[in-house]
Amino acid sequence: MHKTSDNNKSKRVVAFPHMGNIYIPVSAMLRIMGAELLLPPENNSETLTIGTRHSIETVCLPYKMNLGNYIQALESGANVLLMFQAPGSCRLGNYATMAEAKLKELGYEFEMVVFDMYKGKIKEIAKKFSHATGTTNILKTLRGIRIALAKINTLDEVENRLLFLRPREYKKGSAEKVYIYAKKEIHKADTVKELKATLKNINKKYDAIEYDSKKEVLKVYLTGEFFVQLDPFTNMEIERELGNLGVEVERQVMFSHWSNNTLMPKFLQKEESHRDRSARMAKKYIKRAIGGECLESVGDVIYAADKNIAGVIHVGPFNCNPEIVTQCILPNVSKSEDIPVISFSMDEMTGKAGLVTRLEAFVDLINRRRRSKKTA
Amino acid sequence: MKIGIPRALSYYNYYPFWHGFFSELGVELVLSDKTTKKLVTEGSALVVSETCLPVKVYVGHVLNLLDKDIDVIYSPSIQSIAPKIYNCSKLRGLPDLIRNVVNKNFLLIEPTLDKSEPNQGFYQYLYESVAPLGITDKKLIKKASKAGWECMNNFSIMTRSGVDIPTAMRNAINGKISLESTQKEGMAKVAVISHGYNIYDEQVSMKMFKKLKQLDIEAYTSYNLTIEQMNEGIKNLDTVLYWANEHEMTGAAGYYLKDDNIDGVITLTAFGCGPDSLMIERITRYAKRFNKPLLNLTTDEHTGEAGFVTRIEAFTDMLIRKKRTSIVNSLKRQVVKKEEEKRLVGVE
Repeated sequence: MHKTSDNNKSKRVVAFPHMGNIYIPVSAMLRIMGAELLLPPENNSETLTIGTRHSIETVCLPYKMNLGNYIQALESGANVLLMFQAPGSCRLGNYATMAEAKLKELGYEFEMVVFDMYKGKIKEIAKKFSHATGTTNILKTLRGIRIALAKINTLDEVENRLLFLRPREYKKGSAEKVYIYAKKEIHKADTVKELKATLKNINKKYDAIEYDSKKEVLKVYLTGEFFVQLDPFTNMEIERELGNLGVEVERQVMFSHWSNNTLMPKFLQKEESHRDRSARMAKKYIKRAIGGECLESVGDVIYAADKNIAGVIHVGPFNCNPEIVTQCILPNVSKSEDIPVISFSMDEMTGKAGLVTRLEAFVDLINRRRRSKKTA
Repeated sequence: MKIGIPRALSYYNYYPFWHGFFSELGVELVLSDKTTKKLVTEGSALVVSETCLPVKVYVGHVLNLLDKDIDVIYSPSIQSIAPKIYNCSKLRGLPDLIRNVVNKNFLLIEPTLDKSEPNQGFYQYLYESVAPLGITDKKLIKKASKAGWECMNNFSIMTRSGVDIPTAMRNAINGKISLESTQKEGMAKVAVISHGYNIYDEQVSMKMFKKLKQLDIEAYTSYNLTIEQMNEGIKNLDTVLYWANEHEMTGAAGYYLKDDNIDGVITLTAFGCGPDSLMIERITRYAKRFNKPLLNLTTDEHTGEAGFVTRIEAFTDMLIRKKRTSIVNSLKRQVVKKEEEKRLVGVE
């Protein structure tokens, strides 16, 4: 196994783990702040294999993925690793120290910078980013934060259009193509101005796609654990599979909601945050926050029932403590609120064929339900 | 007034307190039966299969109480025991889980103890514990809590001086104190690291203590330690408290791993326990560093007793053999030393 070379010890090469598209805003920010960045390859089966090899058996999938990312980054010469710890207390809070110990044991030399979101939000981010990059220039930091937030909003807009077009387009895969192009272009943009031009360009491409505007499309909510929801590799591209089955997916966690809700001070927020809404709605079934996204998942199902959505798909990593409680509670919620719910636990053993079969069955079920409701 | 307490999870940590507290207020406590295979099966049927064994056992105990026609069940949610020190999600949401999976008509008393929140402290927890029963006099509750602590402290004093848990529990409830250790001298000393609800549930731990006694091994647990000793243990493993029930795992392990009187450490985890999987990883790493023999055992509802016992036997055999060798070697060394001394004297 390689060790990071000693001759350029002073140079800080920063790497961070993948979670869906989050690399786009984060790397923009780091770049503006003047850091040398090393992007590990996007999550793939090799990442998972490496991560699994060096993890304990029952630890959850996000940890295995992160560890795989770290090792791949270290092998290519990174020496500063970033780790995010969001509020909400599950095993996640242990992962930074555990990964650090494991990687040191494997013989790598690096520094771990942990973002502890318990301690403060925007301030902690600015402080830790400037530590990681070695920049003390506050202007650069602010510019970095600004471009990151702008990219988050742009990405969400682009993604929402993809989710809308996927079940409706005539030629399957054309929206997907635009989306892949869009991701690349957004990643490239360096200023907010450039970003705006890029978005215009992307929207033009989206507008060119022909789709069936009269098609009756059922809508499902995708909810569950944060990482699995946002990372397409980990959730086996469940959104695309559903889109191909002719179902529109509304993911309950979008980056922009999340960044608004967690980073902005409460009095500046206009709408009720996702968490507050969920806590209010879920009260009948679950009275207290238990860490992770349990409250959100239960709340989303009830919200979906209120909005007359066709069904809810709940995903989480295998052996995720909060999501197990959710899985135990959901059958009762589904019955009392009269809405179909299906749960998926993802781990390194999950086969895609089985997942697709169950999704097909679920889509059949919600279709038939709708039809019988209409005739009744 | 009768309320049912499931003989599972926090029963093993707090029952003496509850007994003192509720008795003072004139509430009678009814315990569920001891865990059986049937009880575990019935409990597992109601939750998803991924759920950890202790929670399945807990659900089984709730059902057992309902079968006994107890229709008030006490199921606390211990959210956090100190600022930012949280419990496992499954324990935090335990009453919520019970309410949703047990589809029967009963009153669930679900007080919350959350020391990370400003208004959810200990007295609020006690208030919520008895308010559904119609007791709302705060002075009375405070007085009862004193009675609870008395009982709890008696229990802790006894366990720390080496009285085994069932005896200590019995004595504490009857208001007796006996400080005479029930520990008999054995061939080797082993520390068993696990949560109380795993090792003292005979169905889950497969009567591990009896087995160790038969093998002539002394067993020590976290119940024999004080909080200070366990804090020291956590420091020994270069970590800080993260989980609410970390003392009995990392703390006890850290203390015993550095204790020269202990010959080996056995950890027992329930399959699917999230916090334990992380704590065990650390314990394993440090056991290597401290050069202490360690056996990791995992149990679930399908674990066969035979395989379990064989591994314990093999481990303890190894410990005894190791101990014997070291004694023989040190004796040999003494003999050699004496001979050498003699020779040196002869030379002079």
